[in-house]
Amino acid sequence: MIGAASALNGNISGEWYLALAAVLFAIGAFGLLIRRNVLVMFMCVELMLNAANLTFVTFANMLHDIGGQVLVFFVLVVAAAEVVVGLGIVVAIFRRRANATADDFHLMKG
Amino acid sequence: MSTLLFAAASGAYGAKIHTPHIDYLSILPILIMMGGAVLLVTASSLFRQVMGVGSATFITVGTAIATLVAALFQWDHVVTHGAKVTIAGSIAYDGFSVFIQIVVAIAMLLTALIADGYLKREGIDGPEFHVLAMLSASGAMLMGSANDLIVIFLGLEILSIALYVLAAFNHKRAESGEAALKYFVLGAFSSAVFVYGIALVYGATGSSNLPQIADYLSKNVVASNGVLLAGLALLLVGFGFKIAAVPFHMWSPDVYQGSPSPVTGLMAAIAKAGAFAALLRVFVSSFGTLRADWQPIVWGIAILSLVVGAFAALVQKDIKRMMAYSSINHAGFILLGVQAATVRGVSASLYYLFAYMFMVIGTFAVITVVARDGDSGHQLTDYRGLGKRQPLLALAFAVLLLAQAGAPFTTGFLAKFTVVAAAVDIHSYALAVIAMASAAVAAFFYLRVVVAMYSPVGAVGDLSDLDAGELDAGPISVASPANAPVSVHGQNDAVASLSVLTEGPPTSAVADRMVRVPGLTTVAIGLSVGFTIVFGIIPGPIVDFAHQATLLFT
Amino acid sequence: MDDYLPILILIILGFLFAALSFVGSAMLAPKKRPTAAKIAPYECGIVPTIEPPTRFPVRFYLVAMIFIIFDIEIVFLYPFAVIFRQLRSFGLVEVLVFAAVVFVSFLFLVSNGALTWGPAKQLVRAMPSRTSESTIARITAGPGGPGGYRDPSGPGPGGTRTTDPVPPITGDPAAPAGPVRAA
Repeated sequence: MIGAASALNGNISGEWYLALAAVLFAIGAFGLLIRRNVLVMFMCVELMLNAANLTFVTFANMLHDIGGQVLVFFVLVVAAAEVVVGLGIVVAIFRRRANATADDFHLMKG
Repeated sequence: MSTLLFAAASGAYGAKIHTPHIDYLSILPILIMMGGAVLLVTASSLFRQVMGVGSATFITVGTAIATLVAALFQWDHVVTHGAKVTIAGSIAYDGFSVFIQIVVAIAMLLTALIADGYLKREGIDGPEFHVLAMLSASGAMLMGSANDLIVIFLGLEILSIALYVLAAFNHKRAESGEAALKYFVLGAFSSAVFVYGIALVYGATGSSNLPQIADYLSKNVVASNGVLLAGLALLLVGFGFKIAAVPFHMWSPDVYQGSPSPVTGLMAAIAKAGAFAALLRVFVSSFGTLRADWQPIVWGIAILSLVVGAFAALVQKDIKRMMAYSSINHAGFILLGVQAATVRGVSASLYYLFAYMFMVIGTFAVITVVARDGDSGHQLTDYRGLGKRQPLLALAFAVLLLAQAGAPFTTGFLAKFTVVAAAVDIHSYALAVIAMASAAVAAFFYLRVVVAMYSPVGAVGDLSDLDAGELDAGPISVASPANAPVSVHGQNDAVASLSVLTEGPPTSAVADRMVRVPGLTTVAIGLSVGFTIVFGIIPGPIVDFAHQATLLFT
Repeated sequence: MDDYLPILILIILGFLFAALSFVGSAMLAPKKRPTAAKIAPYECGIVPTIEPPTRFPVRFYLVAMIFIIFDIEIVFLYPFAVIFRQLRSFGLVEVLVFAAVVFVSFLFLVSNGALTWGPAKQLVRAMPSRTSESTIARITAGPGGPGGYRDPSGPGPGGTRTTDPVPPITGDPAAPAGPVRAA
């Protein structure tokens, strides 16, 4: 990666953005797997998607290609739609429950 | 980000923008399917009082048939005029995409027929079910024609987001909401992984367009580019979740069990069709030059899916959980064709998807009607004596299960045969042997249901007799009739099946009752069984169809 | 193999950051378990005598979700507006199709009553007309149960009992104050 990417015009080179995105993605993935609160899990998904967005924008800048930035729009819209549906499901479920903890979900096992 | 966009836009100010030519014929089936959904939601908003389940089903069936006709017309057009890439290179219009459109349109048609009776029985009114089903079908179709990674992502999300809601649709069952939440969390996770994979591939190759990626890879030697390989691996993980391949299968038993039964059938059929179509197109055609890198991974995933799917299904008492593991096993078989990455492998995978679509939707149609009011009768005991009470229904179910097991003179046999032959073709002998062994193991759990159907209804306590004899004994036979609530948070399936058992089998009075089979569901079951048998005996047309679809690959 | 090194470093960095955060928070945070008072919705020092209404009406979530969808569509309209002239009729047609689809979803929301503010319709319909008999029946049925509010003559021609399988979404159906306030 370090060899393939050309330096950005600014002061900070692109690799740092990519590293930041990778760290954000790892935090999101890690948080999704260990956190038990469903709303926090949603936030982790958003974090992962935004890490991907940051990667897209950075690569678009490195490659001097506007296409990468356009892709971000689609990811943004999909992320919004996804979180709306997720919240809708949570609201529908927690009409009959008191709290939003993933540990409560053990009706089905296996 | 907005400043970047602004700069780009003002830089291009005054310059003529080349707008792509939209070839409407190439996306006609998708447009019809989406248009049908929009039409139905409009009609249901304007005429809420008069729209019932029946009229919604009518519109959906009409849309599915129109989609099918459009896709068949496309097929004719592609065969005579050849394949092409349209709409700024983002849509592939070839035999492969048309094949997937046909599969998904038929799946939608059958599901609409089954859902009609289900919705009426469960008292779930509103045409939203059909709207969401059509939207998710259009997503699967878009995945089949996508020629750009981001279009694949959009198709994947249209498919999945609608399915998340459909999984939660039966708000009277607590399991339904739980299944939806589990599906959503893991689906969103896999989507994020998939997008990150796209981002890395885009960064490594400079494009998200599949032919351009292939072009870049053929011209530049990037045999060990870390970013590209990481992107490739993440894409594979994303696809792995959608097709429920081991080790990305954790969601599928719970989601299959909790979702409304017609939704489970639709999910199994179109999510697999769409995801496998995209997987084949991305890996076989675009990343074909990196074959040496991804083939061993797919090989491993295929073996794990085959083995885990077959053995975990053996210990299930809930038929929908069993079908979930069976679908994992089927995913392993289809991966055999992907792993081969030859023309023969791709056509075998396509044929498998087509045959599996009919088998799984027909199976879930029977499961839907046997479950009775409340969609809860999914234990093996609910099937006892079905052969005596409703011989035709039991016969249809037996045929569909045996076809899934790969019995001769059904499409299931040929499907398994062609993928194994494709694996043997590229000398993956170990994979072929494991696949055949897993098919033999899988035959046990299908046969167990068939045996249950043709055995008489017994007393409440004799659950263990059923399995203790000739078939798998294992942990099930230890089940004591003790009805103490066992609150085990079981990690393995043996414990889970025990806890299911102790919840108490249905009384024989309920099990003795005939189940009502609505007319439209009968049509769907009949179509599934008919296709499975007729094209199992005369395999030529469909095999040729799948083969020709592969040849018209762009 | 050298090319894999940055990936490996990234993975290690990611894990290190997450691990350090955990270790750091475990070391720096005060060692106090959260008490019941701490996790109460309003920590104001006064022990609540009645259960606070922890559930907001679902309506508010609904409005927030609708907002997100209609907010995010600007993402497509804004670039369109910037290069509106260069796109000519092509862009106009595309954006009109897009707007039509979004409008259909708006239509659906309006028809479902998602934007209807005020008391929920089902509750108003479910309220029997108050007569002296119904008041007597209510008092004899005792407080608490929602059955006390049912018309003793059963569901009348006006649909006094809702046929909607979904429970009324505003308020708690078990709370005696809910339906009365809706009237």
